[in-house]
Amino acid sequence: MLAWATGSLLAGAAGYEGLLIGIAYVGLSVLLLVAVLRKKAPSGSCAFEGARVTLNRWPAFLPIGMGFLVGLNICPPLLLAFTGAVSSGSLLGSLIFFLAFFLGTSVYFVPIPFLGVFRRVSALQIVGKFAAVIVALYYLYAGILLLAGGVL
Amino acid sequence: MTTSGRTEARSSGMAVWKAVLLMLPAALLSSLTWLGNLMGGDIDPLIVVALVASWLGFTVLFVLMLTTGKTYRYRSIMFILTAIALPLDFIPYMVETYGSMMLADDVMFSGGASFCPLTMPMIIIPALVKGVVIFPGEILPGTAKGAFSIMFILWVGASLAVGRGWCSWGCFYGGWDELFSRIRKKPLIKHKQIDSRWRYLPFAVLLAIVLLSAITFSPIYCEWLCPFKAVTEFQAPSSVLAVMQITIFALLFIGLVVVLPLLTKRRIQCGLFCPFGAMQSFLNKINIFEVRIDLEKCTQCKKCIRECPTFSLDESSLESGKPLMTCTKCAQCVDTCPQGAISYHIKGTPLKANPTVAKVLFLYPAYILLMFLGAGSVAAALYRILMLVTTGSMLH
Repeated sequence: MLAWATGSLLAGAAGYEGLLIGIAYVGLSVLLLVAVLRKKAPSGSCAFEGARVTLNRWPAFLPIGMGFLVGLNICPPLLLAFTGAVSSGSLLGSLIFFLAFFLGTSVYFVPIPFLGVFRRVSALQIVGKFAAVIVALYYLYAGILLLAGGVL
Repeated sequence: MTTSGRTEARSSGMAVWKAVLLMLPAALLSSLTWLGNLMGGDIDPLIVVALVASWLGFTVLFVLMLTTGKTYRYRSIMFILTAIALPLDFIPYMVETYGSMMLADDVMFSGGASFCPLTMPMIIIPALVKGVVIFPGEILPGTAKGAFSIMFILWVGASLAVGRGWCSWGCFYGGWDELFSRIRKKPLIKHKQIDSRWRYLPFAVLLAIVLLSAITFSPIYCEWLCPFKAVTEFQAPSSVLAVMQITIFALLFIGLVVVLPLLTKRRIQCGLFCPFGAMQSFLNKINIFEVRIDLEKCTQCKKCIRECPTFSLDESSLESGKPLMTCTKCAQCVDTCPQGAISYHIKGTPLKANPTVAKVLFLYPAYILLMFLGAGSVAAALYRILMLVTTGSMLH
């Protein structure tokens, strides 16, 4: 619903919605490609290494600080999906978009609730990574076309 | 003649009679399919020649499959023939109907495109959510060649009958891949040089196109990725987008269907890219036929792994006695195993049960599928060739 509301808001920005969504597509799909193709998993890294070191010095702030940083953590697939849902133009479209997003990301999330059972199923993770690359390439191309003049 | 000579002659005579009896039902069934093409209208002698010749050819190949133990070789001939025959008939048909194999936007979106089974994974979610078939082809039989309803019924029946056997018996595109994979005697890129993780790519393509098609309400695979538009029909290059799409599918056809199969002697498009094949892999689970390896006979020579054209056998298969779920039941491993340790098998029966019975029971639905989906094209292509020879044109 938030995505649909944002889309409705953008619709008011006559002439710029294509540009804004195009920029978001390109930026976020590149981010998704980087997230998938780099060797280390995003969940194991920290964007603010200095802040983490500082927080380690003051153990009292650690839980709050870590929670805050987790909140800041960028999730490229979610942001890309949000942008896609924004551009769908209807509430039903946005809902379908996030249903598809849920189904797609389930490939990644399956191992979490069944720790120890599915974690060894590396096949799912390989499929998830390949699929993420394909989706990222699709949106990268869609974003470039939007920036080039809204051909798509 | 000695006693043993007489016994041998008698047993070989029995084998021929057995094969004839086994072949008769298939020959009668297939003759009905061919006769169906003669119904209605004036009968052109060239059509009769094409139908009889193709019927005889297919029947002889089926008999050879039953009697020689070279299932893969004769299946492959029929499979490749159907793939080559499709564009030989389809492209002239497109030229006759639309003036070109390139469809204008209005024709494409008004349902002028023929329905293709590869679209099946993409249409399910949009059909459930919005009740629309996102491929612009026709739902009921009409002017286009092949309608969704007919293709859907065929697909369900074939999936129940042979599972992913569709990819080596029914698919009228796979023969192109197989043709180029069989040209070289030895591969330039050996199977060990191909990272096994690529085997998961078809499942990722399936996941991506199903979700993107659900989101965009358009058949993403057909629009962007299908290499076989090169041998059927495609959108006219009327916009930058269409030019991009044509470039992509042409490159995919050259790369996945021609060059890589030539270099690797593998069906790269079928084994490492096709999302429809990935979907059929899941349907292998509900199909009663499978390929099994008798671990007592197996000497671990790994010839089957080296020869499998679709990457469906690996070290784990030789431990479990089963190929991977992606097995297309093409019979390459069955025919090449030096120990005769690999055979068709019916799930639920003992592994040591008569493999010949399982083979015959599998070959029947598989051959009938091949015949229904491909034999018509072979006869039609032969007719076009005869037309070309006698009139100088393949067009009516």
